[in-house]
Amino acid sequence: MEPALRHQLSALDRALLALLNERARLLAGVAGDDPGRAPAVDDLLRRHAGPFEPAAIRAVFAAVDRGCRKP
Amino acid sequence: MILRLRPGTPDAKVQALRDRCEREGLRTVLSPESARPVFAVVDKAPAALAAELRADPSVEELIQPQGDWRLVHRSFRERPTTVKIGGVRVGGGEVVVIAGPCSVEGRELVLEVAQLVRRAGAQLLRGGAFKPRTSPYSFQGFGVEGLRQLKDAGAAVGLPVVSEIMDASNVPAFVDHAIDCLQIGARNMQNFTLLKAVATAGRPVLLKRGLAATVEEWLYSAEYLAHYGCADVVLCERGIRTFETATRNTLDLTILPLLREWTHLPILVDPAHAAGIARIIPPLSRAAIAAGADGVAVEVHPRPEEARSDGPQALLPAELTALVADARIMAAVTGRSFHPPPAAACS
Repeated sequence: MEPALRHQLSALDRALLALLNERARLLAGVAGDDPGRAPAVDDLLRRHAGPFEPAAIRAVFAAVDRGCRKP
Repeated sequence: MILRLRPGTPDAKVQALRDRCEREGLRTVLSPESARPVFAVVDKAPAALAAELRADPSVEELIQPQGDWRLVHRSFRERPTTVKIGGVRVGGGEVVVIAGPCSVEGRELVLEVAQLVRRAGAQLLRGGAFKPRTSPYSFQGFGVEGLRQLKDAGAAVGLPVVSEIMDASNVPAFVDHAIDCLQIGARNMQNFTLLKAVATAGRPVLLKRGLAATVEEWLYSAEYLAHYGCADVVLCERGIRTFETATRNTLDLTILPLLREWTHLPILVDPAHAAGIARIIPPLSRAAIAAGADGVAVEVHPRPEEARSDGPQALLPAELTALVADARIMAAVTGRSFHPPPAAACS
């Protein structure tokens, strides 16, 4: 892989990780599941134009939700 | 000049170096820095003395600042300063949003705005009780009664409050009403009598940049505050007057990275007074945080068309909520975090 491409991917990964952590911080004081979560993900998918695979998006957000939950 | 001594330098040695300067008639100020001893020599030191001090084995670095500011110079502190307003930290890697009405317009309205500011996720409530208006016929604010209403609204929703002070004689009123942060407005940035008085209030100060002030002049005003007793100064860029008439002022984001090099003070940006147009405040806020601002200060009103001052630059409640979400995103992708909401009770 070209170093410039690697650099850009690393920068995007850092940004993704920062956003995930910020999301987890925002939910830190919130207890219980959000009944509005599934419709919100459906809405995201309806607006989604790719190229990220829709099925993968659902899996990613499921993992995000698990990661944001308090252990 | 600023002397940065080696970590672990004994207090007696620090004092000996300060005594050496003071024997020459030069005043020194010790930094509150704990990582290493740092002190500033506020008067101009002779070259021979500077050379002597530079040669001392305890002196790691002797800095001759380009400008004449010392206590707010970047080298005076090891890291950028964090200023606490109520329980809210400004600076230090967290991003904040200050929001509220331009003017405190009455008890019910300021409480309504405070509630929507809290719900949107902003951390500090602002509101003007003493209004510096260009026209003498414009609403001048409710004065001390406005301070009372602002503080009560902030306390009701658990947000510390920020309000502008225009006259040195009002310092006791701001202190008595437990205003958490005193704002020096753009028009008063070089009102040195006011700066000296506010510096003794024992409260953090938000110092707006004068509308025709250079960065150096702005930092000298901050130095006044620091020299006269206020270490907790927050700078706020709010636009400068230029030949451009499309906006009320020109938001000078250019200076943010330079300010980071020149001073340890936290830096906020007020895009509302620069723009004067509500719809362009969100992109300017994103740009400000991307450029390194520690937060933004904006105005919000549930019915901007009824606002008694600056209605055209007031955000609607939903716009404030969106702006706070943007601020959170921009904080994260620039390697910082968004300050959590303050606890329900504040000072």
